[in-house]
This record gives sequence, structure tokens and C-alpha cells, in this order.
Amino acid sequence: MIPRREFLQVSAVAGTALLGACAARAVPKGRTPVSLWFSYGGTNREVLESLVQRFNDGQTRDFVQAVYQGDYFEGLAKLRTAIAAQCAPVLSHVVGEVVPYLAEAGVLEPLADYPGLRELDLIPELGQERTWTSGGARPLCALPFNRSTPIAYLNGDLFAQAGLEAPRDWAELRAVAKRLTEPTAGGRFGFGCPINWWFWVALVGQAGGSLVAEDGRISLGDQAGVAALALWQELVRGGLMKPPPGRDYNAWEQCNQDFLSGRVAMIWSSTAFLKYLEAHASFKLIAAPLPAGSKRAVPTGGTFWIVLRSAPSAEKAAAARFLRFMHEPEQVITWATRTGYIPVTRTAVRTLEQRGYYASHPNDRVALDQLSVAEPWPWSVDLFRIQREIVQPRLESAVIEQRDASAILSEARALALEPT
Amino acid sequence: MKPSRAADPYWMLLPTLLLLFVFFVFPLGKLVELSLFSWDLLTPAHYVGLANYRSLWRSGELWQTFSTTLSMSMAVVLGSMSAGLGLALLLDRPGRFAAFVRSAVFSAYIVSWVSVGLLFLWLLDADSGILAGAWRALAPGRAPHWLADPALAPWAVAAVTIWKITGYALVIFLAGLQDMPQSVLEAAQLDGASTARRFASVTWPLLRPTTLFVATTSLIASFQLFDVVRVMTQGGPVRSTTVFVYAIYEQLFLDLRVGRASAEAVVFFGILLLLTGAQFLLFRDQESG
Repeated sequence: MIPRREFLQVSAVAGTALLGACAARAVPKGRTPVSLWFSYGGTNREVLESLVQRFNDGQTRDFVQAVYQGDYFEGLAKLRTAIAAQCAPVLSHVVGEVVPYLAEAGVLEPLADYPGLRELDLIPELGQERTWTSGGARPLCALPFNRSTPIAYLNGDLFAQAGLEAPRDWAELRAVAKRLTEPTAGGRFGFGCPINWWFWVALVGQAGGSLVAEDGRISLGDQAGVAALALWQELVRGGLMKPPPGRDYNAWEQCNQDFLSGRVAMIWSSTAFLKYLEAHASFKLIAAPLPAGSKRAVPTGGTFWIVLRSAPSAEKAAAARFLRFMHEPEQVITWATRTGYIPVTRTAVRTLEQRGYYASHPNDRVALDQLSVAEPWPWSVDLFRIQREIVQPRLESAVIEQRDASAILSEARALALEPT
Repeated sequence: MKPSRAADPYWMLLPTLLLLFVFFVFPLGKLVELSLFSWDLLTPAHYVGLANYRSLWRSGELWQTFSTTLSMSMAVVLGSMSAGLGLALLLDRPGRFAAFVRSAVFSAYIVSWVSVGLLFLWLLDADSGILAGAWRALAPGRAPHWLADPALAPWAVAAVTIWKITGYALVIFLAGLQDMPQSVLEAAQLDGASTARRFASVTWPLLRPTTLFVATTSLIASFQLFDVVRVMTQGGPVRSTTVFVYAIYEQLFLDLRVGRASAEAVVFFGILLLLTGAQFLLFRDQESG
């Protein structure tokens, strides 16, 4: 039993440490606070927090307080609730699909007039300009942060043993998946991919379609949408592809674990997981571009910085200074090289090339090169609703229950046109 | 005792009534009001009448959620009650071993739902889980994907829930057994009744109030399943484990459809009210009978 005096001493030390920790997070006197809500765990969280620390230590004017708020969707729910409750942070980051909705709802601060933000030398495909159709013609309200594309990850050892190379088109994808599948007890799937909207959009683009037709009609890719679903159905039915259990990011995580454990030979995932997979793979990991259907195409993904219009002016100005800092080459490079996300400025890419980084890290180059076939998202306030409520549940249904792809997409199109 | 002034009881009830109004009546009224609006928290709410209810009904979502919840709840109630009663009959005896097993079974009940969900995610993993290993030892080929197959996932989640709450049923049934007049059981034994006959004619009828209590409380608790679904399946695959509380959470916090989530919550409240009413009637009949 601990003596009473000792217990009190330990409690006093623990209490003092706790108070000290709290004090460390408090805003120093005379500095403008910037509340930042973010949605990363693991390494990404560590890197972001180190960059915030770098900013806070490097000047005495502003102080960023970064608070973790769960994954993208949990963070977004909290953000929208906080906006309604008028207690939103100054700064946050959200998935691209939701930016048009937030912008049209009038809750985002226009950023172009803050010093230096209009002049950032962003890679156009990663900035507002080309992430959305006619994004450059709209008021600047979102700046790229962690941007990505889907890429293929290959188990290099298995591919070398089988004398295979990364599939370049859908026919090769089928053949490679078949070759690497072992349909035995404790066997292996040739291919794994979360049944997720983002990868389906990639397939739709590769099949020559787009979510919105040229006349503005929500088409969900029409025949290309069906072809994309049919490919997944065929691979799953043939036992060549493992649709991971779980939904949203749980399925992504499961897919990564299947790959790392050797239960799946090749997966599609985000470039965001590059450093994590490289660090944990017990085999040679090869990153490769996605194969072509009738053409090559990928969507971009990840999140954008947003400043909330409701915040006090001084804090919004401080947030803008933080954003400028985050787009300086050293911060962009730190973020990209430690996480796997794509560097968002041209200067950062040039610097990395000059340093020979891509020559020694060819996997990091894959997503960057894929930007040449990146397709913009439609600027639609309904995009997020269509993604979460209409398409995503039907993708699962079509692939797992093997329902008719054409009928299920017709149903989705009809629902997408219904008033909210 | 008669109050000296007629208004006195009402003054005394006022603090409780105030709390009830603030934390129950007002939120409930607000919930019903919100169910008549379309609102995403960001743009202004607009009145849509009963459209949220109609939409839930027409899309089949309400029925699907109700049938999923009901079938999983029935499995949970029947499974946990059978296991709880069986274990109670086996463990209703003195001795250290029986006490240890009783404690072990009940210990699952006090473990957090999230921990249980994570534990079973690992146990039920179709590739590296213990169950998959056992399956492969007995049958060739790949083990079923218990959590990825819409036909299996609801029963897998129900089985985990049964494992978790059987300890509760066990304790209540044990209390019922130990409260039973021993003279009646001894009289039946003296009359030469077999073990099965004693159970069917004496123990089971005398356990009826206990059974009703366990059944209704387990049913209401299983209707409120959330944590284990959130951790293990997130309502999938293909909404096969989307129970009522998860559906409300999804509508409200992921899709931000405040009106539709409120309509679903109102319907859910109505169902729980019916269940509570049924429980009340059953117990009243029991007491009067």
C-alpha cells in the first residue's frame, strides 16, 4: 500500500505536470489565436503538429492551436455542427467534394485579398483552379493541403516471382489479378480495393465517362459508370478481388492490412498511405499508376484548407499568415516527403527534383506524374450528398450482392435528381 | 397524510417537473418540430410537413432499419436469455468453481462495448481470426467473411452482443432461482418428478416474472445497439447492420439531414414507447394474476 504522504507527493507532481501541459497549450499573451481543427491520426498528425510547432516557434505574432477532430467525415460533421452553433474554429480542412457546398452556403472566407495567398505558385490540378470545373473563375475560398490521387501498390516480391509488371490497362489488371490469386485455404487475392466512391470515379473516368454530362445533367458516367461497376463485379465474382469489410476509412485500413500481411498482392489506395506502407511492408513495395480503360484518368482527393467567415477579422488574418507559411517550400516538402501526399506548389517540386529526391524515391513520383491525367470534379453543391447518400451505398450493394449495375445506377441517377 | 394546503404537493413536485420539462419534454417537442423541416444546419431550415416521414417510408429505409433492428434484437434476446438461463441452472450451486465461472461470464457485461467490438473484429477476421483458423482446420477453402457478407454480418453482430450481455441474464436468472421457495421443489422431488419435469412444471412457471423482466429489458437494450455496430461494421455491409440508433446517427452526424434524422428518432421513440407499454401491461397482468 502506498503511504499517504507519498501518494500526496506523487499526486502533487502529477497535478503540476498536468497544469504545465495545459499551460503549454494556452495562447501566449499578446499573440493572436488561430484555432485549427484537423482530421489526421498517426504519422500525419505528428507531422502536422510539428509544422504547427514550427510556425508557433518561428514568430511571436500568432499562435495556432491544433485540435484533432476524428476522421474526415467525423471532423466535417463537427465542423458543420459548430458552424450552426456559432462556435466554429478559424481554420480547418475539408474533403474537396464538400467545398462547393460550403462555399455556396456562404460560410467560407474569400482568401484572394489576404496578402500573398493569390500569388501562391500552386500546381493548378491541386488548387481550386483545376480541381473543379471552372474553379479558377470562382472566388478563391480553398487552398490545397494534403492532396492525393489513387495509385496502385504492388507486392514487388510476388510480382518478381511471377515475372509480372504493373498492369497498364483493365485487361492486364484482370490477368495479373488472376495470376496472383491463390484460391486455397489461407490463400491470396490478386487484387484488393475499397468499394469506395473515389475509386469508382477513377474507373468511370478510365471508361471514358464523367459524373456530370456536358449538358449539366447528373449522369454518373452513364455507360462508363456501368462498365466501372461491372469490372469490380467481375473481379469479385471470380474470386480475384477482395472487397475489404467495413465502411469509409475502416475499409481502407483493412485493405492496407490485407496488403501488408500478404493476403492481397496488389491494392488500390491513396498516395497518402505511401510512407505508412513503405515503413510497414516486409516486402519490396512498388507504387504504380492506375491502369487505363479506354483512356487514363484519376480523380484528385484529399483536403483543402478553409477559413471560416464567422471568425473575428484578426484571427482570419492570422490564419492567412499561417496558410502562407504552410505553402512555403520547406513546409510543403516536409509534409509531402514524410506522408506521401503530393507537394502542392511548383517550387517545392522543383526543389525536390534539384535535391534528387525523386531519383531516390521513385514511388513518390507516381501520384505527381498522374496529375497529367487528373480530371476535375464538377462544382456541385449536391456532390457530397450524391457521394455519401446515393452512390456509395449502391456501390456496396452492386458489388457485394452482385446486383445489376445498370439498374442500380439508374436508381441512383433518379435519386440524385430528387430535391433535397 | 394530507397536505395542509392543496397546492403543496405541486410545489414539491415542481423541481422534478422542471427537470423533466427541460431535459425530456422540451427536447422531445423540439425533435417533433425538427422532423417537419428540411435542415442541414448551414442553410436556413424550411418547412416540409410530413415529407421526411414519407421519404423514409417510400425509400424503404424505415422498414429496412426496423426489420434489421427487430431481427437482430430477437436473436439477441432469445440467445442471451437461453444462454443466461442455461448457465444459471448449471451454476446455481455452491463452490469456488461455480463462483469463478459466474464471475467470468458476468465480467463480459462490464467490459466496454468498444473493447468488445475491437476484440471480436480480430477474432472474426476472415483471414487471420481464430474462428477462421478453426474453420480452415475443419473445412477446405476460404472461411466465410462473417463481417463482410450481408447475410452473415447481422448474426455475427448479434452473436457478439449475446456474448456481451449473457452475464446480465445469468445474474437475474440466478437471483430468480435463489428466490424460489425450496419447499415447492422439494415437494415435487418427493412426488418423484424427474429433473426435466421439475423444470417444466415448477421452475419455469415460477421464473415467469424474471423471464419477462429479462426479456423486456434485453429487448429495449438491444434496440439501442450502437457502439458495437459503429466499431465492427459501421452499419454495413450494404446497410445489413444499420440498426435504428446507427441510422439516426448516420442521418444526423454524417449526412447532416437534421429533419430526416429527427423523423427517424420520432418513429424510434414511438416503437420504444410501445415496447415499454407492452412491458407495463405484461407486468400488471403478472401482478394481478
